[in-house]
Amino acid sequence: MSGLASLRRLMWVGLTLLSHYRRHPAQTAFLIIGLVTGVGIWSAVQIINSHARASYAEADQVLGAQASHWVRASDGGGVDPDAYIQLRRAGFTQLYPVIETRVATDAGEPLWLIATDLLALPRSEGSIDASGAGWLAMIQPPYQTWYPPELAESLGVAPGDTLTLSDGRTLPPAVPQSQQQQGRRLFMDIGAALDVLDRDRFSYLAAAGLDADTARELEAALPSGLRLEPNRQRLDLNQLTESLHTNLTAMSLLSFAVGLFIVFNAVRYALLSRSPTFHTLRELGASGRQLSFAILLETGVWSLIGTGLGLAVGFGLSQVLLPPLAATLQSLYGAVVGADILLRPSTWLLAWGITLAGLVFALAMPLWQESRQSVRAARDLSDRWVRDRTARRRLAWVGLILALAAGAVYSQMTTVLVGFVVLGLALFAAAFCLPVVLGAVLGWTLRALPEKAWQLRWAFSDGGAQLPTLRIAMMALLLALTANLGVETLVGSFRTALTDWLDQRLAADLYLQRDSLTREELNLPADADWLAASHQRVGLDIRWRGRPTEVRGLEPEAPDSRALPLADSSNELSLWYVWDTDNPVILANEQVRHLAGVESGQTITLSTGLGDRSFEIVGFVHDYGNPYYQFYLPRGEVERLWPGRAEPQGLALWLSDRPDAEASAEAALLAAGAQAGDWIRQAQIKTVSLRIFDRTFAITAAMNGLTLGVAGLALLTALLAIHQQRLPDYAHWRSLGVRYREMGRVLTLPLAVIVLLTWLASMPLGALLSWLLIHDLNVLAFGWTMALDWDWAPAIRLGLLTAGVVAAALAVSLWRLHRQLPEALRRLGGQS
Amino acid sequence: MLQLIDLHKTFDQPTGRITVLGGIDFHLEAGQSAALLGESGSGKSTLLHLAAGLDHPDHGDIKINGQSTRHHTEADWAEQRRNHISLVFQQFHLIPTLTVLDNVRLQARLCGRMDPDYEHQLLNRLGLATLTHRLPHQLSGGQQQRVAIARALLHRPPLVLADEPTGNLDEHSSESVMALFVDLVREAGCTLLMVTHSAAMAAYLDQRWRLHDGTLSREGEVA
Repeated sequence: MSGLASLRRLMWVGLTLLSHYRRHPAQTAFLIIGLVTGVGIWSAVQIINSHARASYAEADQVLGAQASHWVRASDGGGVDPDAYIQLRRAGFTQLYPVIETRVATDAGEPLWLIATDLLALPRSEGSIDASGAGWLAMIQPPYQTWYPPELAESLGVAPGDTLTLSDGRTLPPAVPQSQQQQGRRLFMDIGAALDVLDRDRFSYLAAAGLDADTARELEAALPSGLRLEPNRQRLDLNQLTESLHTNLTAMSLLSFAVGLFIVFNAVRYALLSRSPTFHTLRELGASGRQLSFAILLETGVWSLIGTGLGLAVGFGLSQVLLPPLAATLQSLYGAVVGADILLRPSTWLLAWGITLAGLVFALAMPLWQESRQSVRAARDLSDRWVRDRTARRRLAWVGLILALAAGAVYSQMTTVLVGFVVLGLALFAAAFCLPVVLGAVLGWTLRALPEKAWQLRWAFSDGGAQLPTLRIAMMALLLALTANLGVETLVGSFRTALTDWLDQRLAADLYLQRDSLTREELNLPADADWLAASHQRVGLDIRWRGRPTEVRGLEPEAPDSRALPLADSSNELSLWYVWDTDNPVILANEQVRHLAGVESGQTITLSTGLGDRSFEIVGFVHDYGNPYYQFYLPRGEVERLWPGRAEPQGLALWLSDRPDAEASAEAALLAAGAQAGDWIRQAQIKTVSLRIFDRTFAITAAMNGLTLGVAGLALLTALLAIHQQRLPDYAHWRSLGVRYREMGRVLTLPLAVIVLLTWLASMPLGALLSWLLIHDLNVLAFGWTMALDWDWAPAIRLGLLTAGVVAAALAVSLWRLHRQLPEALRRLGGQS
Repeated sequence: MLQLIDLHKTFDQPTGRITVLGGIDFHLEAGQSAALLGESGSGKSTLLHLAAGLDHPDHGDIKINGQSTRHHTEADWAEQRRNHISLVFQQFHLIPTLTVLDNVRLQARLCGRMDPDYEHQLLNRLGLATLTHRLPHQLSGGQQQRVAIARALLHRPPLVLADEPTGNLDEHSSESVMALFVDLVREAGCTLLMVTHSAAMAAYLDQRWRLHDGTLSREGEVA
C-alpha cells in the first residue's frame, strides 16, 4: 500500500515537472532539436559506416562468399588458363577464374571491372544468377557488359551502348543489371574479358569453401610459380578504409558532442526556469530523491523520443551522405558501396544508449548544482552570473587535466584510434578552458574602459551576465570551428600535395594511354625536333607482406625520374640511377616506410620471376594517396626480373619549345599508328585528378557544414534562452526609456566580442589539430607525409560564415524578444 | 502634470471579460503627490502602467504636461519615460552587472542630465556614498531600493510613478525608506503617483485615491 502511495507521489512529482514543457513549447522544441541533431548526425554516420562495411562483405560475394583462398602467381603476373584447366581436371572444382582490373573511360573516369566464369562458379556461391536465359548472351560474342544501374546512369551509358576505354578498346554492349554483389563494378564473362582486354592470363583463381585438408592438397598440386593465399580481399578493404571510417566516426561523435551541448543548454535552461516549481515541490514535502528520480524518469522519456526522432533524421541524412561517401571510397580505394541502406537493431540500441548517457551527463551537473543550493539561493537568479565564475574556474581545471592527459597519451600514440583520442582530449581541453578566458577578457576590458564610455562599460558588464548561458554554446562553436579549420587545412594541404605531386609525376606534356603503343612499337625517332624527351614506364602488381604492391620500372635518365619527389634518401641513392647488378638497390614509396616499418638502408626481399631477390632501400618517394605499397626499379631490371610479366604503363612525351611542337607531335603519332584519343594532355589529367579529389572530400565538406550548422543551432538556442530568461531585465531597461538600438548594442557587442574571441581561439587550435592530423594521424593511417599548408582564406571564410550564423541567430532571437517585450512590460510590476 | 481622462481597460479571462478600469478621470498637479490605494487585483498597477505607457488603454487619454499621448507609439512612450517619467518598482530592477554608482547614473546618462553635485547629495542622503563600487547582490534589500530611488531621481524627472516601492522591505526599513523617498521627491520638485495597499505609506503623500470596482474616488486631502 505504501509502495503504491509512494509511486503515486512520484507520478505526481513527475507530472508536475513535465507540465512545464506543455506551457513552454519553445523549450520543448530546443530539447528535441538538440537531441535530434546530435543523435541524427551520429546515427547517420553510424548507419553509413556499417552499411559500407556490409557492402565490402557483399563485394566479396561476386568472387565467392566462401572464397576462402586465392591462387596467385608468385611474380604477380597472373594465372595461365592452362594451369587452371590442369587444376580443375585434377579435381579442384572449387576453383574459378577471376579477372579484376582497373580501367579508365576515355574521359579518364576510373572504373573497376570484374570478370568470372559463370559456369565454373560453384552453386554454393549463389551470388550470380546463371540460371536465366540472359547468361547465354553474356558468354557469346558480341558478349555483354553488366552495369549497375546507378553507374550506367552516372556514366551516361544506355542499354546496348559500347563504352570506349582510355586505351581505345571498347567494351561489349551494356546491359543494366541489379546484381547486388556486383556493387559499382562492371561485370563481364571471363572469356569476353580475355578477348576484349587482350589478356592471356587471369588475375587469380578463387577457391570457394576450401577446408584445411583440401587447401593443403591444392597447395601441393599447384604448378611452380603459383601459390595459395587466404582471401585477403575483405581484410584489405577493411585495412584500407578503416582510417576513413574512424575519421567519420570521430566527426560524427564531435557532432554528437555539439548536439549534446544543445541538449545540455536546453536541459539546464528548463531546470533553471523550473527552479521555482522544483523548490515549491521541495517546500511541499517532495524529497530530493523523489525529485531526482522524477527527473531521471523524464530523462528516460526524452531519450526515447530523441532516439526515435534522431534515428529517423539520421536515416534520411545517411541517404544524403551516402553518395559523397561512396565517391570517396570508390576514388580512394576502389571500394564499392551499394545503395540500399538498412537500419539495424544494434544501431537502435546503441543510439538509445548513447542518448541516455548524453542526457544523464547533461542533467547531472545542473542537478548537482540544484541539490547543493539552498531554496532561497536557487530562487534568486540576480547573482547567477557571479556564481558562474566558480563554475568557469572548475571547467578550466577540467580543461587543464584534459590537456595534461592529451600530452601524456600523445607520447604513446601508435594507432589511429589513439590519435583520435589525443585530438578529442586536446579539443575538449581547449573548449573547457574557453569560458574562463572569455570571462577574463571581458573583465579586463571592462576595467580598462574609461568612466565616460559608460555604454561600452554597460555592454561589457552585460557580457558577464550573458556568459553563463552562452558559454556552452561557445564551447560548441569552438569545437565546430576548430574541427572545420583543422579539416579544411588538412584538405587544403592534401590538395597542395596532390597538385605538387601531379606537377612532379605528370611533368611531361603528352601521355599515351594505350598500353600497346609503346615507344618501341611507335618507333618514334629520338632526334625528332618536336621531341625533347620521353619515358616509357612498365610495371606489374605483386603482393608483398600480405598487401597489394606495385612494382614500377622507370627509365633513370627520364626527366621525371631525375626529379622524383623524395621524402628521404640515403647516400647510396646514386646507385639507383647508375645501376650496379652486384649492389641491387630499390626506391619505395613512403607507405613502405610508415606502414611496413622499413627504413632506408634496410634490405627487402621480393618474389620475382627469377626467384626471390633482395634489394637495399636507398630512398623513399612521396606517393600521394596511394593505398598500396610501391617499389621503383630501373625499367631494364624489372623486365629482366619479371620476364614477360612487366606491362607497359604508358609513354610520357616532353615536347621541345618549338611553337608547333604539339601539332608536329600529334602528326607524328598519327603517322606512327596511334589514333586520336590515344594520348591525353597533361592539363586534362590534372583536371580529372583534381575533380576526383574534390569528389573524394565531398563527405568531409558535408560533415563540416553539418557540424557548423549544429553549432549555429546551439548558439540560437543559447541566445533564445538568454533572452527568455532575462526578459524581465530587458523590459525594465525599456521602462527606463532605453531605445531598441541602445538595447541592441548592449546585447550584441559582448556577443560579438565573445564570438570573435572564440573564432580567434579556433585558429591556433585549428592549426594544432591540422598539424596533429597531418604529421601524426595521416602517417599512422595512410603511411605518407605532406607539408602543412596553412591558408588564411578558410579561416576568414569561416569567420564570415560564423558572423552570418551568429547574425541570423541573433536576428531570430531579437525578433522574438521584440515581440515578447510588450507583454513583459505589462508584467513588470506584477498585477494589483 | 498628469491627467487621466475617461480611461477604460478590460482583460479577457477564461471566465469572461473583466472590466478593470471603467472610465477613470484623474488629475495631479505638478509637484503634488498622490497615493493610489485598493484591494489586490483592483487595477492599481494597471492604472500606473497605463500612465507610464507600459500598457495601453482600451479607451480614453493620458495627458502628461498637458500633452495628449493618444497617438503615442511605443518608441514615443520610451522617449517619454527616458526624459519625463521615472518608475520605481517593488522589485528593485537594478542591473546586476553594474556597480551601485553606474546603476544610479544610468537613467541620468540616458537622458543626458547628469548633475554631480546633486548626485553627491543624493548618495549621501540615501546612505550610499560608501557603497558606490559594490554590486547589487552585495547590498541588502533596503540598500537596493535606495539605489533604485537614487536612479529614479538623479535626473529630476517631472513625474515619478512608484508601484509598492517598499513592498519588499520589512516594516522598519519601509518607513525610513518611504520618508526619505517622499522628502527627496518633494525636494526635487517631482510629481509622484504611488501605488500602495498600505494606509500608513499613503499617509506620507498629499492625496489618497481609492480604486474599487473599476472606479476611482478621492479619500480626502492630507494636511
